[in-house]
Amino acid sequence: MKQMKRILITLMALMLLVPSVAMADHHKSAQTEAADLRSTLDQLLSEHFVLATTFMMKSYEDAPDADEVWNKLDQNAQDMTPAIASIYGDEAAAQFEEIFRGHNDYSDGFVEAAKNDDPEARKMAEEEVEEFTEEFSTFLASVTEGNLSKDTAKEVLKAHEQDVLNVFDHYVNEEYQKSYTAFREGFNRMFDISKALSSAIVTQMPDSFNGTKADTPAADLRSNMNALASEHFALAVLEMQKGFDQAEDYDFVTWAENQHTADFKAAIGSIYGEEGAAQFEKVWQQDHINAQSDVITAALEEDEEARKMAEQSLMAFSEDFGAFLGTATEGNLPQEDAVEAVWTHEEDVLQTFDHYVNEDYTATYDSFREGYAFMFGIGETLSSAVVTQMPDQFGGEVMPEEMPKTGFGGASDQGMNTWMWIAFGVIAAASAGFISIRKAKQ
Amino acid sequence: MKLDWKMYFTILGLTALVMVAYEFNAFTFWKDDSEVVRIENATQASYQETDVPEDQKEEILDGEFTVINKNGNMRSADVVKNQKQEETGITPATISIPAIDVEAAVESVGILDNGQMGVPEDPQKAGWFEPGTEPGSTGNSVIAGHVDSRTGPAVFYDLDQLEKGDEITVSDENGEEKTYVVEKLESYPMDDSPIETIFGSSDEKRLNLITCTGEFLSSIGGHADRLVVYSKLKEPTQNQEDIQPPSNVQIQGTMITWHAVREDYVAGYRVYRSQDGETFEKVASISKHERKSYTDSEASDYSYYVTTVNEEGTESMPSDPTGTK
Repeated sequence: MKQMKRILITLMALMLLVPSVAMADHHKSAQTEAADLRSTLDQLLSEHFVLATTFMMKSYEDAPDADEVWNKLDQNAQDMTPAIASIYGDEAAAQFEEIFRGHNDYSDGFVEAAKNDDPEARKMAEEEVEEFTEEFSTFLASVTEGNLSKDTAKEVLKAHEQDVLNVFDHYVNEEYQKSYTAFREGFNRMFDISKALSSAIVTQMPDSFNGTKADTPAADLRSNMNALASEHFALAVLEMQKGFDQAEDYDFVTWAENQHTADFKAAIGSIYGEEGAAQFEKVWQQDHINAQSDVITAALEEDEEARKMAEQSLMAFSEDFGAFLGTATEGNLPQEDAVEAVWTHEEDVLQTFDHYVNEDYTATYDSFREGYAFMFGIGETLSSAVVTQMPDQFGGEVMPEEMPKTGFGGASDQGMNTWMWIAFGVIAAASAGFISIRKAKQ
Repeated sequence: MKLDWKMYFTILGLTALVMVAYEFNAFTFWKDDSEVVRIENATQASYQETDVPEDQKEEILDGEFTVINKNGNMRSADVVKNQKQEETGITPATISIPAIDVEAAVESVGILDNGQMGVPEDPQKAGWFEPGTEPGSTGNSVIAGHVDSRTGPAVFYDLDQLEKGDEITVSDENGEEKTYVVEKLESYPMDDSPIETIFGSSDEKRLNLITCTGEFLSSIGGHADRLVVYSKLKEPTQNQEDIQPPSNVQIQGTMITWHAVREDYVAGYRVYRSQDGETFEKVASISKHERKSYTDSEASDYSYYVTTVNEEGTESMPSDPTGTK
């Protein structure tokens, strides 16, 4: 039975990653206007999640870098404004900024409530979140002219707020495995939200996006790569900080990293098969995940020799992984470009860590944001290479501009299609998580 | 006759030399091989920074594992939150330090009106800082005693002769004992001692002994420096079955991972592998602070188990094995 479930989920995941060719439109690139919008939202929304949860943990611990994380969380919110303005104009953008920036304040309310063990304050913060979901979903429904319905928006916002709270509450209760399970779930939900929101916007104003769609297989692939790459970066940075601090939850961040490796392996497997997946895992772990941890150990032991060796490992990884990507994409992603990109990423990781060790937190989180953004460049480059390599799977070749009009919509809700996919994705992700936990417990 | 004069002047000269040496306090530097480290400007940041790395790591069990001193890092993880003190400390009544023949009564002292820590009237008694931590509990317990009285040596006269590894035992009225092991000796100028380090919070169970040291300055009617002996509670020796082996040992690709044993006694882990599932060989030692994983490109060909090793070097039973057979 369990076996069946697992197979079913694998199939679902495969379908998510590689939806049938018939669903694709003729814009086969992963770099369409719509895909770009989705990717921008991927980045800003998921970064919001990472910074919000990080801030709450750090603030709860009175960590010296908590204030800087807060600054960056606010900066992230401000960065969304121009994106909104370019679509809906300045007035709506200002309104957006007011609601969205304001909602970050509640995270502080939760932290203070937990610190002082104050149920009253907690309740107040919860009420404020409730108000925010109401206000923001109204806003979203109105600007998208109902392409994103208020109810759906509210539901998904609630789910997101719950994710953030789950991460924090479990953290406070020292249930770290649960906390990082919630972290991974909540992180990936941001990409579902991004898909829904970008699809709604694109459907609402097709002309602004040159008729391209945000939910093509190629755009899905790009978003998937975005998620895998950026989650890796977020976890790596967190792992190295927690490791350096010898924090209680350090071993659980590494656990989350291992879970992420398994997901990444599965994604590679669905494109390049079992063998490619195994090869990926080997390269990924050996001189990479392990070497990042060696960097921490070297810092703790103040061992410069060990640090140099770890850096050499990371360089070797850039070469190996670059070669792997070059070969896998059959040169559509040239090996040297790949090597350079991977090394740039490793440098981001090292810089972020070094600033942290030197207690320069402004620089730490500047590097963090830069390095985080860079992962979306990797997502774009990599997905484009794969789409060019496998046009049959991700592009679709001779296709009409539109599907024939075979109904008048009387029996179905226009917005539903996207939402079915999202619910489907969430369920798939959640049950996969559930099974992997079950497996881990066995 | 000639010889006698030679003898006379030699002795006279030597005596003079000794007296001059005494006058200049040369003996304080001379008196045996004391392990006291004198630290100027202890409260200034420069000291904190240069000193921390030295204490931050320690290699144990012949360098197999490295132990990181968590106190060196005052970051988030050290914040003590609602931590319950499971073990109850004792109110010390006597202190015994066999290495320097000290057997003395201990009385409780507090803070004097001038802000100083109090000391017993009786120079042969030691004083436990009662507002602070009880011996046996987590934190810094402090006991102070005189080095000398107006007439001669007092209870902590030989404190500077202690060496790393010597034991200090305090017991309460009912005879319940707590034994500490000396880690280091440091002296500071009287008005520039790192009060926070000596009295402040710690996530370890520590006892710090304080006495006077250095030159006696008649101008202030006291000694110039304060000697602090830092010691740490000796945890009862553990048997193999007391040490928890790691759980969730798994092979994921080329990585062998396990869940940490979240106990203070852990120094690190040993990873063993086997081709036939019967004879295992040790392939790695992983310190407590490192990532709990071991990478092996041939992981699929082997089975593995992991053990926990405590700070004394005692090894747990193997974890459940994992892998091919």
